[in-house]
Amino acid sequence: MDFLKKYMYPLLTGACILAALLVFSLNVPRNREANVIERIVLNALSPLLKPVYRISGIVEDIWDRYIRLVDTHSENIRLQEDIRALNLRVQEANEALLANKRLEQLLNMKKSIKEPTIAATVIGEDVTSWFRSLIIDRGSSSGIREGMAVISAEGVVGQTVKVSSTTSRVLLLTDHASGISATIQRSRARGVVKGKSEMNCTLEFTTRAEDVKVGDTVITSGIGGVFLKGIPIGEVTMVKRGEYGIFQTVSIRPAVNLPHLEEVLIVQRGGYE
Amino acid sequence: MNRRGVLLLLCIVVASIVIQVSLLPVFIRPSFKPDLLLVIMVFIALRGSVESGAPLAWILGLLNDVCSGLFLGLNAATYLISFLIIKSISDRLYAESAFLFVLTVVGVTFVNFTLNLLLIALFTTSPGVVYSMFSEFFPRLLVNAFVASLVTACLGFDENVPST
Repeated sequence: MDFLKKYMYPLLTGACILAALLVFSLNVPRNREANVIERIVLNALSPLLKPVYRISGIVEDIWDRYIRLVDTHSENIRLQEDIRALNLRVQEANEALLANKRLEQLLNMKKSIKEPTIAATVIGEDVTSWFRSLIIDRGSSSGIREGMAVISAEGVVGQTVKVSSTTSRVLLLTDHASGISATIQRSRARGVVKGKSEMNCTLEFTTRAEDVKVGDTVITSGIGGVFLKGIPIGEVTMVKRGEYGIFQTVSIRPAVNLPHLEEVLIVQRGGYE
Repeated sequence: MNRRGVLLLLCIVVASIVIQVSLLPVFIRPSFKPDLLLVIMVFIALRGSVESGAPLAWILGLLNDVCSGLFLGLNAATYLISFLIIKSISDRLYAESAFLFVLTVVGVTFVNFTLNLLLIALFTTSPGVVYSMFSEFFPRLLVNAFVASLVTACLGFDENVPST
C-alpha cells in the first residue's frame, strides 16, 4: 500500500498516457468513422452550434457590411470615376483608330493624285433639306477657289462653291445643280452625272445604244477640267431603256457615303476667281 | 428694340444657325430638319414692328441662303414677303395665342415653299430641285409646327388669357 501511495502520481500519469495512446491506437484504423464519444458530443453540441453559427454569421455580416465597409462608398465613387475615365479613354482610342483608318485611306488617295491637294474637315451641312451642300474648314486663305474638285478616299464628293477666307461650301454631287462628266469604267460609255436626291444620282445623256449594266462602276471622264480622270463616282443601280427616246435612264449610288463624310481632299486645280 | 433685346436676338439667331448647320445633321435626317430661322421670323412678325422687323426678316432669309443652296437672296426675298403678309394681318389677330403662332408657322412654311418654288422655276435652271422640295415639304411642315409648339411652351404664350 505504501508503494502505491508513494508512486500514486507517476503511476496514474503513466496509466493515463497509456490509455490515451491506447485510445488513439485503437482509433487509427477507423479514423473515418465517428465513434460513440464523437457521436455523443456532436449530437449534444448540434443544438448549440446552429444558433451560434447563425449569430456569428450575423456578426460577420455586420462586420463586413458596416464596419469593414466604412470607406466603401467613397471607394465606390472613386472606382466609378476610374471606370468612366477608362471608358472615355477606350472611346477616344477607338475614335482615334477610326480616324487613323480614314486618314490613311485619304492619304492613299492623296498619293494617287498628281495634283496638289488640301485636306479639310466637314464642319456643317446645308441649312435646308432642299439643297445638298457641306461646309468645310478651309477657305481662300488655304488656296481654295470656287470650282475646285472635292474628293474623299472613296471617290468624288462634289466641288467648291462660295469660298470665304476660312470656310468653303461644297456642292455635293447629289445636289440638283451638280453636273459631272462621267464614264462607265467597263464600256467607256459617257454621260453627265446629275444629282437627284439625298443618296441618288442619275447618269444623263447616255444614248440607248451605249452598254450600261447594273453594277458598273462610274468614274470621272476628266472632261471639263474640274475632276481628274478615273476618280470613282458611284455604282449603277438601275438601267431603264424605254421603247422611245434617245437616252436611257441610269441611276447611280454614290461611292462616297455623303451623310457620314468627315474628311475630304480639295484638288488644287482649275477653279475660278 | 433695346440693346439687350438686340443682343438676345443675335445670340438666338447664331445659336439657331449653329444648331441647324452642325448639330442637327448629325442626329436627324435632312427631311426632318426644322427651319429655325423661319420660326424666329414668324415670332418677330407677330410681335415686332414693321420698321425693325422687315429688315430683320430679310437678313434672316439672307443668313439662311448663306448656309443653303446656291441662290443667295432666294430665302431673303421669300422671308420678307412672308413677313409682310403676316404683318398685314397681325394687327387684327391675338398675337399672344400659342395656337395662332403654330398655325402661322405652318402657313408661312407653306407660303415660303410656294414662293421658293415659284422663284426657282422663274429664275433658275434647276428643275430637279422641285422634286426634292415636294418630297420633303410635309415632313418640314410637321417639324416646323413641332418646333413652333416648343417655342410657345418656352416663351410663355397664352399667359394673359383669362381662365374660365
